[in-house]
Amino acid sequence: MKKIINTLYIMLAVPAMGISQQLDEMGQFEHGQQLYQTNCTLCHMDTGAGSPPMFRALNQNEQLINNTLIVTNIKQGTGAMPAFPDLDADEIAALATYIRNAWDNNYGEVISEEVAAILAQMDQVVQMSSVWDGVYTESQAQRGQSLYSGTCGACHGRRLNGAPEDPDMVSTPPLARARFLRVWEGRSLATLFEYTRVTMPAGNPASLTNEEFIDVIAYMLFVSGIPAGNHELQPDTTSLAHILIERQ
Amino acid sequence: MTKKQDNNHDGLKKSHDQSLSRRDFVKTGAAASLGASALLNSGAANAQDSSSAFNVNWDYEVDVIIAGGGCAGLTAAIRARDLGASVMVVDQNYDLGGRMLHSGSFTSLGGGDPVQLRDIKGDPDKEGFITANPAEEPKELDDSIDLLFTDITDWSVLDPKAQSPYRYNDRELVRAWAENCPATRQFLIDNYVRFARISGTHGGGGLSRARGARCFFMIGEKTDIKAGTITAEDAGVADYERTSAFAPVQMMDASRLVGPGAVMNGAALSRPLEYSAREKGVEFMLHRHFDEVIRENPFSGRVLGISAHYSPRQHPDTGELMQSYWQNGNVDERRQTVCIKARRAVILASGGHAGNPEIRSMFYPAMREPAFPTSGVALQGPHGQDASALIAGLRVGANLSGMQQNISYPTTFHIAPRLGTRDAYTTMMPGHPTFGFRGSAGINVGSVGFEEFIAVNQVGKRFFNEVRLPARPSPSRYPGADGGSPGRGLDHKPLDWRNCRKEWVREMYNYDHGLDAALAINEGSEAPDYYSGPLWAIFDQSAVERTGWEMRYPYIANNGYSFKADTIEELAQQIFKGHEFQRMPLKYLTETVATWNRYVNDGVDPEFEREVDAPMNPIVEPPFYALSIMVIWHDSYGGLRVNGRQQVVDMQGQVIPGLYAGGEAVGGFNKHGLGKGHVHGYIAGTHAAEDSYA
Repeated sequence: MKKIINTLYIMLAVPAMGISQQLDEMGQFEHGQQLYQTNCTLCHMDTGAGSPPMFRALNQNEQLINNTLIVTNIKQGTGAMPAFPDLDADEIAALATYIRNAWDNNYGEVISEEVAAILAQMDQVVQMSSVWDGVYTESQAQRGQSLYSGTCGACHGRRLNGAPEDPDMVSTPPLARARFLRVWEGRSLATLFEYTRVTMPAGNPASLTNEEFIDVIAYMLFVSGIPAGNHELQPDTTSLAHILIERQ
Repeated sequence: MTKKQDNNHDGLKKSHDQSLSRRDFVKTGAAASLGASALLNSGAANAQDSSSAFNVNWDYEVDVIIAGGGCAGLTAAIRARDLGASVMVVDQNYDLGGRMLHSGSFTSLGGGDPVQLRDIKGDPDKEGFITANPAEEPKELDDSIDLLFTDITDWSVLDPKAQSPYRYNDRELVRAWAENCPATRQFLIDNYVRFARISGTHGGGGLSRARGARCFFMIGEKTDIKAGTITAEDAGVADYERTSAFAPVQMMDASRLVGPGAVMNGAALSRPLEYSAREKGVEFMLHRHFDEVIRENPFSGRVLGISAHYSPRQHPDTGELMQSYWQNGNVDERRQTVCIKARRAVILASGGHAGNPEIRSMFYPAMREPAFPTSGVALQGPHGQDASALIAGLRVGANLSGMQQNISYPTTFHIAPRLGTRDAYTTMMPGHPTFGFRGSAGINVGSVGFEEFIAVNQVGKRFFNEVRLPARPSPSRYPGADGGSPGRGLDHKPLDWRNCRKEWVREMYNYDHGLDAALAINEGSEAPDYYSGPLWAIFDQSAVERTGWEMRYPYIANNGYSFKADTIEELAQQIFKGHEFQRMPLKYLTETVATWNRYVNDGVDPEFEREVDAPMNPIVEPPFYALSIMVIWHDSYGGLRVNGRQQVVDMQGQVIPGLYAGGEAVGGFNKHGLGKGHVHGYIAGTHAAEDSYA
C-alpha cells in the first residue's frame, strides 16, 4: 500500500488580488487551522504557546516573518521538530497563513505560489509509505518489548492499553491497537518518535537512546497488529517522516 | 429486598459476610461469622464486663503488644524489639504484611534521607545491585526536614478536584513525622529493605522534591532475603498468569530504576521486614482479630492490654487453616478469645476503615453500599481494614481527627478500571492461596477501555458518560511549567497564594463526578438503605475484537462478576441470578441497549454526550457480555487522634497512658502511601519500648 504523492510544483503567474482572492484567504486560514490541529497542536498547543523549552512558542514568534524558514522547517524538519514531507504547497501556505495570523500574530498571509517557489529550490519527489508496509522487524520489536517493560510498562501497562499494573497510578494514553492508531492517524512516525523522545519517560525524558526509542516504537506497532518486515526501523527523522501512521 | 440465597458461584468461595444486609445480620444472628459491624456491639467477654479491669484473666504477657502486622505494625515491632522490649503482634490475617504486601512499595520519605543522599552522589547501593543512573537531578533531591514539613502542611496546594491534601494536616504529627523520615529510611535499609533509585514522589510526598523510591530484589536462583534475591517463580515473572505465595501481586520490572534483572513491589518491602522481625524474636499470633483495648477504667487510667478473638482463615479450596509463609515466631493459639497484657504499651496498627461499610458511612454515607469493597479483599479477608482500631479507641475514650480528610485524595475512593472481579485493586493470579476468594483476576481495561461499552446501574439504566466514568483527578498541581510533581517541581513555591488562586483552579480543574453518579440512588434504591447497587459494563463480541480483551480464566470466571449470553434478555437474567449484590432484575437493560444502538445510529447521545469524547459502537453482535465495575475505597485519612509521639489522645486532650497508634488507624494526616505508616511505626516503637508500666 505504497502511495506516491505527486509533488511536481509548477510555478504559476501570480494573479492580481481580487475580491474572490480575499474570500479564498478566509478559507485558507480555516484550512490552515485544520491542518494545524492535526499536525501541530500536539507540541505547539492550541494556543500557540508551545511548551518551552521543549516545544517553541509560535504566538508572537518574530521568526515567523521569514517564510523560507517556515516552509523549510515544515518540509524538512528542524531540531526536535519532525518533517512533514507530505504537505503540499497549498497546504503549507494555508498552515503558514494560519500560524502567522492566529492568536496575537499579525504577519500577513502566505500564498501557495510563494511556497511553491521555495519548494522548487528543495528536493522535489517525495515517496510516502505507511506503517503497514513492513517497516520494522520482529527481532527489533522483541528488543523493544524488554525496554518497554522496564521504562514504559509501569505507566502504560503490560498490555500497552494505558492501564498501569500499580492501581495507585492513574490511567495513561494507550500505546497500541485501535485507539492508539486513531489518535495518531495522519501523523508520521517522525512525529511520534520526536514527541516520545522529548517527553518520555515522563519523570525523566530522553533517558533512552534514540536506538532504544525506535525499538520501543517497533514493539508498539507489533502489538497493534501491524506486520513486521525485513528491515529495521531506523532512528532517523528524515526517513521516519516519510512513514505515515494509518488505520488499516 | 433481602439477599438472595441461591448463589451458584463455582469459583468464588464466600470468605466474608459483607453481602449480609444489616437486617439479615440481625435476623440470622450470625454468631459464627461476626462481621465488622457486629464488633461495635460485641463487648469482649472477659475484659470489660465490670467497670474495673483489674480482674482480667491474662492469657499472655509481653512488654509491647501490636495490633496489626502491616507497614506500621512490623516497623514498630522491630523498633521496639531493637530497644530491648518483648513484642507480640496479633493480626487477623493468616499471613503478615497487611496491605504493604500487595502494594507497589513506593515509599515517599525525604528530608535529606539516606537514599536521597545516595542518589545525589550517584552512588550505587552498598551491595552494588544498582547499575542504573540516578533518575533525578541532584537539585531535585536536595531536601531538608523544614522543606518536607512545609510541603506536607502546605495550605495552598490543590489537586485538579480543587481539594487540598495537606491543608488540614495536624502540625505536630507532621513535624514529628518529617523529623523521623531520614532515620526511618536508614532503619528500613538496616532491616534488609533495598531501595531503587528515587523517581518522583508519591501523591502524598509533597511537590517540592523527589522523595519516593520503590523496593527491589534481584532475580536469582533462590529466594533469599539476606542475599536480596528472588526466583522468577516467586516474583511472578516466570509465568504472568501464576502468582506465588511469597508475593501476592506480580512483581514489576525494575530495570530502569535498578538495572537488568531487578524486580520491585511490596513483597520486597514487606517480606524483608517480616524476616527481620522473626529473626529478632518478635512473636506473631495470626488468625487473631484485635477487638478491645483493656484500660484500668473505661475512660481513665492506664492501658493494660488487649483482647482478641480467633479469626481463622481457611483455604478457599481445601478448607484447611491457612499457614503463613514463614512460621518461626508464630504462637499457635486457637481459643475463642484471649487477653494479652502489655507491660509497657499497646500499639494500634490494624489499619483504617475502608473495608467497613458501616464506618465508611461516617465519611460518605452512599459508600455504605456493601457491594463495593476495599482494596485487596482476597488477601486481607473479611476483617481487613475493618476499623478495629477506631472502634476500640472510641470505646476507651479516644478522640478522632481529620474526619473530613478522607475526601481529599484521588485514591480514597474511585472507579477501578479492572472489571470482572470484586477484588479490583490487584493483579493476583492463580497460585496464591487466596486467589480462590477473588475467583477471577479481572480485566484491566484502563480508562480508554470505558469507551467500548455502556455502563448501567442495578436497574439496567445508563447513568453517566462512560468515557468519563473512571476519571480520577491527578495528584496536586501548581501553576507554571507543566505543573507536575518532581522531578519537575523545582519552581514550585510552597505556601504561595497563587497556588490556589481561583484563576489557576479554573484552569486546572478536571473532575467529572462519574463516581458520584454511580453512587446515586436510582429506581432500585429502596428504603431504608437506598443502596445504589452494583454497576455493569455491557458490551458485545465486536468490542472484544476491537480491544483484544482476554475473555477467559483467570481473567474472568464463573464467579458472579462476569456473564455471557446470546441475548441481552438472557444476560440480564443471568446477572440477577448470579451476582450476590444484584437485589432486583435489571428491568431496563434491553430497552437501554436498544436506545443506545439508536444513539449510535444517529451519532448523538442526547443523555450524556458520549459522541464528544469517543466513537460510539453498537451493541449488536452476540455473544453479549457483562462485567462488574467496582467502586474501590482505598485510603483512610480520618481516625484516632495522636500526638507527635504517636500516643493516642482522649477527648479532653489528655494522652491515654500506654496507648499508641500509627498508619491508617490514625487521622489528621493526609499523606498517601507507606511512608506515613513506617515512620509512625518507628516513632511508636521507639516510645512504646521506653514507656514505663507504673
